[in-house]
Amino acid sequence: MKNRLITLSVNGRNYRLNVEVNRTLLQALRDDLKLVDVKYGCGSGECGGCSVLVEGRECINSCLTLAVEMEGRNITTIGGMMRKGELHPIQQAFIDEGAIQCGFCTPGMVMKTASILAKNPCPSEDEIRRGLEGNICRCTGYENIVRAVQTASRVMHESDIQAAGGARP
Amino acid sequence: MSEMTYIGKSVPKVDAREKVTGQVIYAAEVHLPNMLYGKIVRCWEHSHARVTHLDLSEAAKVPGVVKVLGPGDVTRKLYNTGVLDLMVPEDMGKHLLGDIEDQRIFTDHVRHQGDAICGIIAESEEIAEQAARKVIALYEPLPVYLTAAESSQPGAFQFDERKPGNMAFQLPEQMFPNNAYGWGDVDAEMATADLIIEDTFYVPKVKQCQLEPHAYVAFYDQSGRLNCWTSTQMPKCVHNKLARLFELPISRVNLVSTTIGGGFGGRLGMVFEPETCAMAMAVPGHPVKVQSAREEDWVASESRHPGKYRLKMGFKNDGTPVAADAHFTSDAGAYFSHSSGVPFTAGSWLTGMYKYNAVRYKGDCYYTNQAPSGAFRGYGNPQTNFVLEQIVDQACLKLNIDPVEWRKRWHKQVGDDGWCIGFPYSSCSLDECLDRGAEAIGWKEKRARYATQSGTKRRGIGVSVMNHTSGAMPMLLEHTTCTVKMNEDASAVITIACSDLGQGSHTVLKQIAAETLGMPMEEIHLLVNMDAAGFDIGSHASRTTYVGGGAVLKACEDVKRQLIGRASTRLGIPVEELEIRDRHVVSKNKPRRPEGAIEDAADHLRNNVWGVGASMSIKEICNVGVYHFVNPMNGEANGIPGQIQGYASYFPSHNSPPFGACFAEVEVDIETGQVQVLELVMAHDIGRAINPKAVAGQLVGGSHQALGMALTEEIHYNAKGLCLTNSFTDYKMFGPLDMPKVTTILVENPDPVAPYGLKSVGEAGPVNPVGATANAISNALGIMFTEAPITPEKILLAIAAQGLA
Repeated sequence: MKNRLITLSVNGRNYRLNVEVNRTLLQALRDDLKLVDVKYGCGSGECGGCSVLVEGRECINSCLTLAVEMEGRNITTIGGMMRKGELHPIQQAFIDEGAIQCGFCTPGMVMKTASILAKNPCPSEDEIRRGLEGNICRCTGYENIVRAVQTASRVMHESDIQAAGGARP
Repeated sequence: MSEMTYIGKSVPKVDAREKVTGQVIYAAEVHLPNMLYGKIVRCWEHSHARVTHLDLSEAAKVPGVVKVLGPGDVTRKLYNTGVLDLMVPEDMGKHLLGDIEDQRIFTDHVRHQGDAICGIIAESEEIAEQAARKVIALYEPLPVYLTAAESSQPGAFQFDERKPGNMAFQLPEQMFPNNAYGWGDVDAEMATADLIIEDTFYVPKVKQCQLEPHAYVAFYDQSGRLNCWTSTQMPKCVHNKLARLFELPISRVNLVSTTIGGGFGGRLGMVFEPETCAMAMAVPGHPVKVQSAREEDWVASESRHPGKYRLKMGFKNDGTPVAADAHFTSDAGAYFSHSSGVPFTAGSWLTGMYKYNAVRYKGDCYYTNQAPSGAFRGYGNPQTNFVLEQIVDQACLKLNIDPVEWRKRWHKQVGDDGWCIGFPYSSCSLDECLDRGAEAIGWKEKRARYATQSGTKRRGIGVSVMNHTSGAMPMLLEHTTCTVKMNEDASAVITIACSDLGQGSHTVLKQIAAETLGMPMEEIHLLVNMDAAGFDIGSHASRTTYVGGGAVLKACEDVKRQLIGRASTRLGIPVEELEIRDRHVVSKNKPRRPEGAIEDAADHLRNNVWGVGASMSIKEICNVGVYHFVNPMNGEANGIPGQIQGYASYFPSHNSPPFGACFAEVEVDIETGQVQVLELVMAHDIGRAINPKAVAGQLVGGSHQALGMALTEEIHYNAKGLCLTNSFTDYKMFGPLDMPKVTTILVENPDPVAPYGLKSVGEAGPVNPVGATANAISNALGIMFTEAPITPEKILLAIAAQGLA
């Protein structure tokens, strides 16, 4: 298998990685960079546990993405959401609304929420539910997660939406 | 009770911040120096076969492979991943219930797809997987049985010589004559019935689908201790089971309970801990990590018991349920596991629900070549709910009785026999649940409106009630040990073995501790450490808040007793005249603090409002207990020596069963068979909600699993016994768009015998939405569905065969 040298920006920090060309972004983040806040839930793009944000906007399943495809891109994981020791409003909303039970889907859910709100700051409930499809939660029945997205949408300002993107200027 | 500070408050989960920042450690995140990677090699191509030839030589040659392990390279001891043997006396488990150990770490007799045949230990996960593909296994296929009906046939291959006819379990004759329990003369009562409703139902094999795949690290270290990091729901039971399996004293097994990424019964007992630990034992000094793939969860771990459930009920014209006669024949799957537990317990929810004149329940199960059945949130209750609640509604329809009114008239009440016969209900607020739930969903109005409909979309509304338990006593052992250590600054460390599956048990245990000790939650640490903590049976049977909370309460009361005792000695005031208030032991006879002066309590003390000399701060008592100096000038010691530690080894005296009423409204498209659930109302008899938001979260989250069982979820196998639904695409759970609005109503009438009056909620959610949804569909179409899940195909076939009402 061929290797390739790539540069990834994760949570505002640059990493140079020598990866096999078939290595997934999930493997590169979890196994090579030890960024274990990104979760392996199914490995086939069905659960959304490995969701990360690209360029502060697009949410992708890192298990279905090759690391080499992300050359030069800015990636945000849940570990990159806090600012100066403060929780991001999305994180706070997940706590306040009781949207967290076992917490295993939470990293993916928070990143998916950041993507939903980056594209549509004031989504309707239906738009939120449609947006969350692809991220599975087996604990909450989704209700409190939907509420958390609504709460985050209410309290977030434009600057916060940008901030969710990690490395954006 | 209005003065309570923490009980009844929806404080945020104590681990929420760690979880929302991605900093919690699930087992898969454990990374140790010199760590190796283990791969459990499974049989994927057969569900029943003999391994005739196993060649590991090519796998061993792969560079980076450290060791290959066949069945003979690890312990050949038999075990049972279930934990029933630790919950009942040996006489009962082994001899009466017939519990057996029938699993091996690596087998040469594959009994289900995914059975483990050997193991690989390598320097990386990728190398281990590469080597696994080089394992050469030849098989002699054996006949495949997918249902009890097939495996119970005469002449069928015998799974285990100890279980003739492949009958893994039936209710034991010695305990229950004719292998049935209940009361009264069912045949005589049935003969008096004006109406008999009888049908045979099928309940599906559904999966817990906890989001975290099973992962472990095990490490046989140089001190001779076996360490295991696992997200088990039952750390103490697994601790004990691993010690037994590897023939070590419990003190030489260090079981580390990591954050649990969902359980729902899927981690009740051992899962892949035996394989992981066996690999670690083979490479002493090297930790071994096993990260299982999602696919392995479907084929090699346990699910809810599927099977056939026959129920015949007789009624008088006035609705009197004269008799109920039930028989649940379930599929055990490939191994014994919970074979005695679920078929036994499923009937308890039936006998515990209504005041039948006579009732008879038979429960049994048979080996098949499906993945083993085991524990899943509700433990037999969702199965019974689907059957019992539909039969009741059919009777109500024929007798022209309102289903809500029938249930109010005939459900069991306080003092009636509980789910365990001979053990009466301590409280029951089901009438209030039914009344408030009916009002919230608009029962009467909608029931009348949906009686006459036309068009392609038909609406229906249904109700279902349930009873459950708070802990499994008196049937199973209930015991939790707790210690509360008071630090010298009066902060506290609670040591306990209770696990938190995400439901928030650690949060509510801390709330109970903070309330009882009268101190802030922020100054209490909850330590979950299996070396330090005493016994706890584990998170199952909706018991952790009830029994774990009871243990915390008792241990905190022990601390209070010690504090008051010491203050009494120092102050010269009898203990009866002292109480703890605002972190001081104070005399009850001194003026109480003025209303609304909580914030200024310390000031009041300083200002002598409550009298100097009649109080001692808890901090002072704790500090002096640790720093017990002797004055060199006069040789006098200050205060009373000894660090304060509270202790409780708690066996609850009851099981304070909760009740619940669920109402469901559905819309059925009669052209496509599609069911849309419009709304659920769940009214739950919680006794007292320690954390109302967490309670509601349990109901809503549980309803998601119930709706799946009722409408979409089922594990399918092909004729060879190979799993067809081993992914989240093929196994359909409700998504965010499918979930209806769920209204929760917490009915709070404190239970008289429970700690703080609380009753359980953990297993309530997945139970009665099953029956309520089925009844709503039946209400919409006039057709009762006997097979779950009620899929569009079944609906269209039924409409075609029976026509609409």
